[in-house]
Amino acid sequence: MGLEQYQGDMAMCCRCSACKFIPMQMVQGFQYANVCPSIAKYNYHSYSGGGRLNIAAAMLKNGFNYTDKLLDIVYNCQMCGACGVSCNYAMDMEVLEPINEFRIKCVEDGHTHPALDKVITSLRKQGTMVPGAKGKRAAWAAGLNLKDATKEKVDVLYHVGCLTSYNKDMWKLAKATVKILQEAGVDFGIGYENEACCGGRAYQMGYKEDFLNQAKRNMDMLKKAGVKTLVTSCADGYQAFKVLYNKYNLKGDLEVLHITELIARLIKEGKLKLNKKVNLNVTYHDPCHLGRLGEPWIHWQGKRIPGEKFVFDPPKEYRRGTNGVYEPPRDILNGILGVKLTEMVRIKEYAWCCGAGGGVNESNPEFALWTAKERIEEAESTGAEAIVTACPWCEKTFNEAIKESGSNLKVYDIVEIVEKAI
Amino acid sequence: MALSKEVYKEFEDVVGEENICNDTAIMPSYYSTELSAVILPKNTAEVQAIVKLCNKHKLQFRAECTGWTFMMPGMVSQDFIYLDLRRMNRIIEINEKNMYAVVEPYVISAQLQAELFKRGLNFCIKGAGSNTSALLRGHGHLDQTTSGDDRNHLAVEWVTPEGEIVRSGALGSSDEWFCGDGPGPSLRCILNSVVPPGTTPGIFTKTATKLYHWPGPARYPIVGKSPKYTLSEVPPNMMVRYFSFPSAEKMYQAERQIGESEISYVLMGFNASMVSSNITTSNEEDFTILEEFLKEVQGPGFLVIIAGNSQEDFEYKKRALQHIVSEADGKSLEKVEDPEIEGIMLCQCTRISASIRETFRAGGIFTSIPIMGQRDLCLRWSVGAGKAKEPLIEKGLIVDDGAAFFGWGVEHGHLGKTEIFCRYDPLNPEAKKAVEEWHKEQIARAFNEHYFAVTMGSSPEEIGPALSNYHIWWRKFKEAIDPNGVSPEVGALA
Repeated sequence: MGLEQYQGDMAMCCRCSACKFIPMQMVQGFQYANVCPSIAKYNYHSYSGGGRLNIAAAMLKNGFNYTDKLLDIVYNCQMCGACGVSCNYAMDMEVLEPINEFRIKCVEDGHTHPALDKVITSLRKQGTMVPGAKGKRAAWAAGLNLKDATKEKVDVLYHVGCLTSYNKDMWKLAKATVKILQEAGVDFGIGYENEACCGGRAYQMGYKEDFLNQAKRNMDMLKKAGVKTLVTSCADGYQAFKVLYNKYNLKGDLEVLHITELIARLIKEGKLKLNKKVNLNVTYHDPCHLGRLGEPWIHWQGKRIPGEKFVFDPPKEYRRGTNGVYEPPRDILNGILGVKLTEMVRIKEYAWCCGAGGGVNESNPEFALWTAKERIEEAESTGAEAIVTACPWCEKTFNEAIKESGSNLKVYDIVEIVEKAI
Repeated sequence: MALSKEVYKEFEDVVGEENICNDTAIMPSYYSTELSAVILPKNTAEVQAIVKLCNKHKLQFRAECTGWTFMMPGMVSQDFIYLDLRRMNRIIEINEKNMYAVVEPYVISAQLQAELFKRGLNFCIKGAGSNTSALLRGHGHLDQTTSGDDRNHLAVEWVTPEGEIVRSGALGSSDEWFCGDGPGPSLRCILNSVVPPGTTPGIFTKTATKLYHWPGPARYPIVGKSPKYTLSEVPPNMMVRYFSFPSAEKMYQAERQIGESEISYVLMGFNASMVSSNITTSNEEDFTILEEFLKEVQGPGFLVIIAGNSQEDFEYKKRALQHIVSEADGKSLEKVEDPEIEGIMLCQCTRISASIRETFRAGGIFTSIPIMGQRDLCLRWSVGAGKAKEPLIEKGLIVDDGAAFFGWGVEHGHLGKTEIFCRYDPLNPEAKKAVEEWHKEQIARAFNEHYFAVTMGSSPEEIGPALSNYHIWWRKFKEAIDPNGVSPEVGALA
């Protein structure tokens, strides 16, 4: 079916430009009203959510004419889903799904981006989205004596993720996560060299088949190991296991938790106590794949009821970004003595992307940095000393932006702050 | 028509390589694959240079802001030079003392309003929504407070179709934007026409708009997540109610008295369907709630927002409202009295943030007849136009909204904006044809039965003879300022 199934949705685009901005009620001034990095940077309407739908609808009708400009439009999108949230404040229509299908079609038709091909080659050869990755996936865990969840029964499998595993700068996140889980007495293990890429970023890049291969492989491993609960500190991984695997009916009964959800639960159950004071003024960045894109997949099959209204039988419930993971990280930060949380303008379902998604980190690093710099500036405007996030990809991109812009802002993953508090 | 490499280069030299594109891939998002090029100017000088080049090469141009031109897609299927004004997005000035703001075309209304709220000020946002340009004149929810249309434009910076820069009003003789009519050239009749073609040839690059007192909070206490934002509390001295009346006459009586007594901040003549669209987050929910509303409302109605400058002022306005509504046998819609719903309506109808729910969500597209004129006459016409929707509803071609119309009194309520629309499926050609016929018939009826001359959907030649033959003068004027015919009449930009 692919793009065709969204013909009706694409026809619903009224070209109102809401997809370019945060929901109108939430606009607090001239600054920080934009929500879509792509239109904010490239300005042509074609780069907006609506513009992408207009193009896809026209090509579906008149044939696909791949030009360099078209591919520039297609690949300069972080697939962050903010356009869909703003649109779906008012409209009943799918936005990100057809955009994603359009990209998948480009890949299927052989119109890929060379930088993304390189990443996917790495995935196919080494099982990681970090090209040029060297050494063992679990090298970070050397000397920690962690359980191998594929060999012994554990309550929780900690899925570390590609970037945290292969980027030494990110090992601190894995180590902090381990410390937190141990402190709370969680019976957990890791997959060691059996852990493989979740495939989520391949899906964002349009390589659906590669994603499905990874998903099937991972689920086979998890089923074989008898894993019931998976926790990850990577937002991309969380969204892949929880949402995408479910979308393709691969998740089964696996409970998928982001580390912030688990920490919040452990605190509530009294198993984890944050006793130490951490004097820090922070602001929190909602990773797209933990926030708006992290809300559960809604299985629906039905047909449009013929007639004048855009309604379906059975009624269709849209994923509008409402049910993402927004409160657990805030509850954690607010529960740490000495931490003062000040919100940015663009938060939760209408948060500005860090810039790293959709393959942009690899295909157009300059655009990724431009996007991250905008977020850093917004974070600075709150008066915070640090921006806290809950995804290694966000942390990496923010650090690069800070390095280039000369900002004094510090970047932390939330597990680093929790580690300081225990 | 494809531009030659040489001509393309001339435009490129004005805006830079990144800001001009003629790749066919981008054209569907600008409605037509036949556009010659899309250009993104940054400032007035670039607009002027582009327009001069259009004259030099006899190329027609069209400018646009955020894009609410859905009703006229056929009008841009030509080989225009298309100016997307997105890069012209600065708030030039907010002058609190003299109560005006100067903006470029791509400042959206939500941005300007948010800045104004911080200063205790507000301005007229078009009913199309706060996602549209703050530069445009028009009518909307705030008309009783801010009036609409030509009342609000002060000085204007205008690039004429030949590429001259004209600064109207006070700007013509100083650097001040405070007045549109002088000291300096008043071009009100040219720049602010509300009769067809309804647009000014050339391009507005900056306008000053009047500002008004805002008695509400600097920022609403919004809680919840999209698509359901509510207020943690209704701010002090503010109240929202929806009243329905036994007849259009009774409604008009109340509407006029509210206008005359100057007690409402917002008076928006929603029909029941528009209220249900506002407060619901999906089509299914919308139609369920509408069924309930249609059982409860007596007939046509309106939404009122009262905003007191003090508790005493608020109490007085509430009492006056109660008296007026009671005299006209008005009945309050219970659901809107619920503080949560009241908060939703207060925020949405002062920030004008749910217009898309009211118009596009149900079917995907709508066709509207918006008119401005003596409100009681317009109302009589709209009752008939509503009746004429009934066969289309029965055939399932348009969304059933109870064959409703809507509208509201402007300023003191004798004049008013009246509007009626049909919502339908853009992929259904039968519906499109039926709606077009309804549209044509109702416009003809308005004209032939002497209710008014419509402001959209007609040509100057059609209605000019009934309005002092203005079309003759208009054509002469148009020829004089646009000798190369490069600035066609293709509807208002939004």
